[in-house]
Amino acid sequence: MNLAIILVIAAAVALGVILRLAITQSLQAKRNAKETPNIRPIDLQAFQNLIDPAEDEYLRRRLPTAEFRAVRRVRLRAISSYIHTAGHNATVLVQLGESALATGNPRFADAARRLVDDALVLRRNTAIASVRIYIALAWPDSRFAAEKVVERYEQLSGSAMLLGRLQNPAAAVRLSAHG
Amino acid sequence: MLQPHSFLWHYLWLGPHILQSVLAIFLWRRGFNRLFPIFFTYIVFEAIEEFALYGMDILPSVDLKTWWVTFCAGLIVEGSLKLWVIGELLGHVLHSRPTIAKTGTRLITATGAVLILLAIVAAAYAPMNRPQYLWTYRAHVLLQSFYIVEGGLALFLFLFVAYFKLTWSRQFLGIALGFGILFCEHMAAWSIMATGALSYSHYPLFDFLNMATYHVCVLIWCYYLLVPQKVPTTSAVPLPENDLAMWNREVERLIQQ
Repeated sequence: MNLAIILVIAAAVALGVILRLAITQSLQAKRNAKETPNIRPIDLQAFQNLIDPAEDEYLRRRLPTAEFRAVRRVRLRAISSYIHTAGHNATVLVQLGESALATGNPRFADAARRLVDDALVLRRNTAIASVRIYIALAWPDSRFAAEKVVERYEQLSGSAMLLGRLQNPAAAVRLSAHG
Repeated sequence: MLQPHSFLWHYLWLGPHILQSVLAIFLWRRGFNRLFPIFFTYIVFEAIEEFALYGMDILPSVDLKTWWVTFCAGLIVEGSLKLWVIGELLGHVLHSRPTIAKTGTRLITATGAVLILLAIVAAAYAPMNRPQYLWTYRAHVLLQSFYIVEGGLALFLFLFVAYFKLTWSRQFLGIALGFGILFCEHMAAWSIMATGALSYSHYPLFDFLNMATYHVCVLIWCYYLLVPQKVPTTSAVPLPENDLAMWNREVERLIQQ
């Protein structure tokens, strides 16, 4: 009886999730492509400082163990929020790239495909990094490396720029004006 | 009305399979059998299997054991085809995204392995109360095991697509949705029957529920595969001005570093 209850509840939850995701997917397909995606800014320099192993090593040497663990947990939570934002931006860029691909315009195709590929890898890396952060939160003394996320984010910036320039050549002029 | 071998029973047993035979003909004529060959094979096999089982059920010369053995044999082929269809759906989602193809394949393999273990554990705990219905019991446990694995994999597929914000075509979404509903409902119903959670007198109600759910799923497939989609006007979403400026600033900073 208990086994049946567990399996029935699991099936009901799975069915609910599948229906919700299928409806979301259908609505997403029908939604007007003109909706503005929302990219959240990331301070890459601060992010790089947070994940710098040399800084962790410095703190480890300077602080008592208990204090180091507390500080490390705070830093890990901050990294987690950066990684979450990077993952969010990656999904927005997947949608942008997919919508550019859907137009079938050969001028954008290569840039859009590259953007989607880079964004998907970043999304995957952020998922792996999030799992590793949760492990590191449990064992703050362990080493944690998120360089891959930063590297991929930088690469993604390049891909997004390329697609942005192709879609809106005027923006490329503005790039040099900023500089 | 809800009695075995009532008119509703016969309709729910045969109706969806007649409908899916018609669906198979339309798919063949539109060339969709080349787009999703495994799903096409599945609906053809399922229709033939059910017509054969129905014929055996009404023939007085076929004994109970022969019917259940045939049912189990068909179930193994049908279950394998359903698992292949899930693979076909994943392949469709991943074929244009080589960067995450390996991740997707590894994840679904790992998920499948975990689900098989869960199905084995669930099967081990299913009680065998009526030795006289040995083949019925075996069929129920087999069904429960298949649907635990298939339901879990269907859920994985939807979560994977949603996590990466991937898009799949209308036809593949319809196939996945139909199977998702079917697997989850069947998993619940067959686990109740396999574990003997309710008395034997309730079983025909679950048969009706299973057959009605299958009918709904066939209708979903017909809708998504045969009704043409309204083509939306697609235009590329440009990077919004503010976001583009932000990307520009980030890239400039990187160049300067």
